[in-house]
Amino acid sequence: MKRALILALNEVRLYLRDKGDLAFTLLLPIVTFALMYGAFGGASRFNATAYVVDEDGGMYARSLVEGLGRVEGVKVSMLSTEKALARLQDADLNFVLFIPAGFSERLASEGRAELVFRQRGNGGQTGQVLGSIIRGIARDMERDIGIYQKVRSNLAGTGIAVETIDVVVTRLLEEERGNPSVRVKEELTGGTGELVNQYVPSILTMYVLFALMVGARAIVEERRKGTLERLLTTRLSVGELFFGKYIAGIGRGFVQTFILLALSYAVFRMFTPASFLQSLCFVFVYIAAVSALSLVLASVSRTEDAANWIGIVFTMATVILGGTFFEVSEGSLLHTLGRFSINTYANEALKKIIAEGASLGDVVPSLLIFVGVAVVGLILSRLIFRAVSGAR
Amino acid sequence: MADDFVIVRDLHRSFNGFKAVDGVSFTIARGEIFGLLGPNGAGKTTTIRILATVLRPDSGEVIIGGHSATKDPQAVRRIIGVCPQELALYEDLSALENLVFFGRMVGLSGGEAKEQAMANLRLMGLEERAKGKVAKFSGGMKRRINFAIALMGHPELLFLDEPTVGIDPQSRNHIYENIVALKEKGMTVLYTTHYMEEADRLCRRVAVMDGGRIIAMDTPYGLKSRIGDPAKVTLEDVFLHLTGRSLRD
Ligand SMILES: Nc1ncnc2c1ncn2[C@@H]1O[C@H](COP(=O)(O)OP(=O)(O)OP(=O)(O)O)[C@@H](O)[C@H]1O
Ligand SMILES: [Mg+2]
Repeated sequence: MKRALILALNEVRLYLRDKGDLAFTLLLPIVTFALMYGAFGGASRFNATAYVVDEDGGMYARSLVEGLGRVEGVKVSMLSTEKALARLQDADLNFVLFIPAGFSERLASEGRAELVFRQRGNGGQTGQVLGSIIRGIARDMERDIGIYQKVRSNLAGTGIAVETIDVVVTRLLEEERGNPSVRVKEELTGGTGELVNQYVPSILTMYVLFALMVGARAIVEERRKGTLERLLTTRLSVGELFFGKYIAGIGRGFVQTFILLALSYAVFRMFTPASFLQSLCFVFVYIAAVSALSLVLASVSRTEDAANWIGIVFTMATVILGGTFFEVSEGSLLHTLGRFSINTYANEALKKIIAEGASLGDVVPSLLIFVGVAVVGLILSRLIFRAVSGAR
Repeated sequence: MADDFVIVRDLHRSFNGFKAVDGVSFTIARGEIFGLLGPNGAGKTTTIRILATVLRPDSGEVIIGGHSATKDPQAVRRIIGVCPQELALYEDLSALENLVFFGRMVGLSGGEAKEQAMANLRLMGLEERAKGKVAKFSGGMKRRINFAIALMGHPELLFLDEPTVGIDPQSRNHIYENIVALKEKGMTVLYTTHYMEEADRLCRRVAVMDGGRIIAMDTPYGLKSRIGDPAKVTLEDVFLHLTGRSLRD
């Protein structure tokens, strides 16, 4: 066992001397972090600009735009039709609200009218959020218009001026808006409501998977140098060899994630000391599982090219299935496939810990899965190595 | 012979149907330097890899110091040192770090490993470059380190697979002198080389391999007397006589 540790230390030393690997595993997280800071630093919750083309110019169109401007975090920017279309075409914008000509008139006369969302693809996450905000505002408008009309028709013939009716209804509606029957109260049970909390876990687990790519080369590199064969003539057993590589893999992954976690702690103030420690522990177990997987990849890779490709394909598949870049909707095929990605469990659990203030006790199922993967991975890699090497 | 330290019996090993080692048998006595000669592709390295427990034979038996290389490889590994034909070094580490690391792997304590590493570097004339990164070394220096690593832990049996290949006469001579010194200390060595004259001077007995088989085995003197006056013919003459002049690869 001591030899396994010496091997691991040697591995770490080699890793520290390899400038490329070092840059890849240490600098990249820091750069990523800086980018995240640029994107999320100081910003809170949803923040977006809604691009609107008002081809109508009528009363209801104006009130819709005003309503949109009142939403927290939403800035409205008006565009001309041509400009909006051009920018959509250039992929400069993903989502634009078009208020077609005649919107106000039809709404007043027929009680219904159409809005148009022009979007690229699904409009992006921001577009989707804006879309549902706009739908909400439109629904409110529709309800208000309905109320005006009902009150007017009920009071028809009583001799009260329409203007007076409208003034009273407007006042009542405003009162009601200020004091809704169903109120939403936000309570934080831990963590913060910051958007960055949703991203840091994904980025963190993604970097653990990047470390896996380095790990996948662990055996082939040693084979290429000739040192693998030499090691096999010493007292180092294959079990110790794998265990040493395993510890080294955990060490590398841990250093990397520690940097990201510590930076998140310091800059975004995402943690309490307790949640920081819990995140560290959780990430450690996750890394233990991923490192075991990387050994499986290492033992099947016969050449360095093979190791690189297997590592990249596995990492990207795991990251995508794990919902790192986009939310995987429930019930979809991707969601089902995602159950096979270890990253899914890591992301879900880490989000719980960071954003919802959950404790390690709340994520025991994920931890058990990781321990299982680690054990199976270690045994499997050892068996595959014996079968593939034809040696012992 | 009771004193046989290495016993190899009817060793076979094929790669995808190609017989790299095809019925090899020989013994090496304790304290003997045994030469394994043969043209490229004869099966020398494959034989050594089997003896060094990194490759399993398809059939046959290897007994080293009383331990079976297939059944108890761990016991064999405790008594052997290997200098592989291809350099096996960590280029990003210093010479000293390489030696110390492999010293730890053969079971030395940190202190012992460091001590032996320095002593071996001194033997190789590389004391001054102990802290230098191996990647920056010349071919001859790398060869000497490759050789020095095999000496770590004072093994009882050394496998030297072309330890002097591709280096200048100075480096070659340096390694040669070291093998002579080891011989005097009673080290058992299995030695392969393409320098016939080295083998002639060093080895008590040599085996000539070709096509995976041993085609002749005797003392250099005995082999030379087979084709003429041993004082006049060289081992190279014998080699060419036995293996022919056609190219092997
Ligand atoms: N792992 C392997 N897979 C396939 N063929 C192999 C393998 N190892 C050796 N061989 C083949 O077995 C034959 C013997 O190779 P070996 O390396 O033992 O020769 P050698 O006597 O050491 O030659 P050289 O003097 O060139 O080092 C060669 O034809 C080689 O191509
Ligand atoms: Mg060879």
